[in-house]
Amino acid sequence: MNTDTIYPKVREIIADVLAFDEEEIQRDGSLVDDYSAESIDFLDLVYQLEREFKIKIPRGMIEQEARRGLSDEDFAEHGRLTDKGLEHLKEYLSEVPEDRFTPKMQVSLIPTLFTPETFCKIVLREMEGGGQAESD
Amino acid sequence: MFHFVDQIVELDPGRNALGIKRVMSGDTFVRPNAGGETTLLSCIIGEALGQLGAWSVMVAQDFAVRPVAGVVGEVAITGEAAVGDSILLDTTIDSVTDDAVFYHAAASVDGATVLRLENALGPLLPMEQFNDPKELRERFARIRNSGVSTVETQTGEGTAAPFDLSFDEILSFEGCKEATAVRTLSGSEAFLRDHFPRKPVLPLSLLLESLLQLGQKLLEDGGSRYVPTRARKVKMSRFVEPGSSLVAKVQVTERSADNALMKFRCEVEGERVCVGEAEYSTVVGENR
Repeated sequence: MNTDTIYPKVREIIADVLAFDEEEIQRDGSLVDDYSAESIDFLDLVYQLEREFKIKIPRGMIEQEARRGLSDEDFAEHGRLTDKGLEHLKEYLSEVPEDRFTPKMQVSLIPTLFTPETFCKIVLREMEGGGQAESD
Repeated sequence: MFHFVDQIVELDPGRNALGIKRVMSGDTFVRPNAGGETTLLSCIIGEALGQLGAWSVMVAQDFAVRPVAGVVGEVAITGEAAVGDSILLDTTIDSVTDDAVFYHAAASVDGATVLRLENALGPLLPMEQFNDPKELRERFARIRNSGVSTVETQTGEGTAAPFDLSFDEILSFEGCKEATAVRTLSGSEAFLRDHFPRKPVLPLSLLLESLLQLGQKLLEDGGSRYVPTRARKVKMSRFVEPGSSLVAKVQVTERSADNALMKFRCEVEGERVCVGEAEYSTVVGENR
């Protein structure tokens, strides 16, 4: 199974949660910048994905997995990503177009990078038996 | 008063709770229905269910968190509660995470379900920003034991002016199609004192009630009487604070002789604050 298999359902849920038509959702669009997702929408989205795919998505999972192997201080300083942190994040969110990452970006802005594909990857990972941390 | 759980009769904190709301003649939120009977606004029954769920979570987490309204997958309105009725509130918490509670609930009168909430989600926020935890603990102790007295409920509710559900101004109105309306929260509304003492914001339940009524007016422009039977995918994404002007747009998406569907969207300064859908049925009989 790959993310193509689950994308249609994920797109349907994203469109539903963000009150858009399915056709308007682009696989690499930014949920925050292009579809005005708010924090309540992310809660709603994760809940709907968990129900649909019968999985559990641990909260804060993306940030935790992106910093894998880095201490808190190596990942971010004063709430902003270090160069190393940025590299780890880029690698982890490989589906996000390169130009959306900015040096020393605020950790609190990481969710602005999330795309529909990001959630496909998360769902797939959980369906295949949990996050990278556990499967290592 | 914007507290609607008069008594908690059973409580397994963070899991199940059973409570009671008695409907009084002096309540702010009662209205005569089409049959002339005075009944509690449906959305207030929903509010009472949400508040019972909130008590359950607050107790389980020692009043460190404050659940607020977020998303309700479905509100099914299946009956009414009239003055003199005791509503049995039954709330089940499906799960609690660090940042949200997920629950479902049902309200019944004499064994008949009058309203159900399905797939509800409430973000959990720091208690200190919304309430004095000490006051809530005290209130909880009262409703957990014998319940608030009918005198307290009646005086509290009866002295307040009835809540005005209408919008300040209808900006556009095209019968059976769509309408836009605006309401500015002045800050002096009585419900803001309890919702919440440290952060007054418009309750989702009251917003939903006024949207459902606006939709009803739109549909009735066609000559038939429609009543709301269901609201779906209702989501509050931002707080509406005093001074904010909320612009609501309701749009009829389907209408037949038996039922109708409506979509709504509310914005403050162009930012989405609430969206959802509602379903209406035409009235059969006098009471609804």
